[in-house]
Amino acid sequence: MPRLDRLSQIARNNLLTFPAQVNETAPFVRLTKPLAACRLAIVTTAGLHRRGDRLFTPGDQSYRVIPSDTPTIDIIQSHTSIGFDRVPTMRDVNISFPIDRLRELIARGELGELGPSCYSFMGAQREVARIESETGPEVGRRLRDEGVDIALITPT
Amino acid sequence: MLEQAGVSTTSISLVREHTEKVKPPRALFVPFPFGMAFGRPDDAELQHRVLRAALDLLAETTGPVLRDLPAELDPGDQPGAPPQASGITPATQIPDDVAMETTQMRRYHERWLEKSGGRTHFGLAGIPATRFRGAVRFLEGFAEGQDVDMPERPADVPLPNFIRYCADDLKALYFEGHLVMKPAAGGEEIARWFWGETGAGRLLRRVRDRLDASTDPRWKAAAFGVAR
Repeated sequence: MPRLDRLSQIARNNLLTFPAQVNETAPFVRLTKPLAACRLAIVTTAGLHRRGDRLFTPGDQSYRVIPSDTPTIDIIQSHTSIGFDRVPTMRDVNISFPIDRLRELIARGELGELGPSCYSFMGAQREVARIESETGPEVGRRLRDEGVDIALITPT
Repeated sequence: MLEQAGVSTTSISLVREHTEKVKPPRALFVPFPFGMAFGRPDDAELQHRVLRAALDLLAETTGPVLRDLPAELDPGDQPGAPPQASGITPATQIPDDVAMETTQMRRYHERWLEKSGGRTHFGLAGIPATRFRGAVRFLEGFAEGQDVDMPERPADVPLPNFIRYCADDLKALYFEGHLVMKPAAGGEEIARWFWGETGAGRLLRRVRDRLDASTDPRWKAAAFGVAR
């Protein structure tokens, strides 16, 4: 944002006291190819999935696979916190999941291609132990096995 | 975790203060509200500029990198967050018959579906729009303190979660219907209309009240998601 100074005091305090994990550093894989030769997948925390797939529940640390050729009309959001406005996503799912923009970059030759799958997690997670130990590394392995060079991580 | 598997990552950050703690390998801080990570809906040009700025971080040779979106891309006029029900005073004249009101909204929602090519947030509870009056009756019974349930509720979905899905579907039906009535309306205007002028908004306040009065934390959590 939400720049914090544009929020109510309650919302600001909620964010400032949110138990964000504190890390000293991060692993860093240098990209050695031009974007035009890269395969990219979206990994989102917007709680999106295919219509008919298992819904997310609050605190759910599992993930859903969204095949990259899924039409945007078949994508639904079961993360429905009233802390954010759902109208932008109703109008245009690219606001959190920019799949059409990526297809346009590929058509223009600026990006290589999409991986076969995108991955989706639930947002607003306070407890992430299972994501750290199990579901996160699993998505990492799947992306690697699918030959993905770049994961674009998007929130809601 | 993804980098440990050998995949380079770049990300969008909505809360700079959190990203400073988490230190992901590459993050682009954007000054947009929650729900608007790529700037504005239906604004492909702005979305492309945000996307490009995030992809540009991949050219860095060391990290972690946390960069701000260039200031000129910040429209600067976006609300921090949508207004909540508690901050909106209901009008004195609100329709009593929510099932009838829902039927009327469904006509607008059908036009939304035609316009959007079938894209909709409606459908979490698994009850078709044509039978959603039944869900409204269910929510009304619940709000009145009755011991109600619906045959459509899957066995593995607890009652408060199912109530929340019904409430989310009711909101989606109205919000998307309103986008047909007033295509230019923003989320704030729609929230003020829903919570201030519709019978559905008043019903959801009452559903929230019963959930919130429970001592069961799962009910209280559902209340928090229905209306605040």
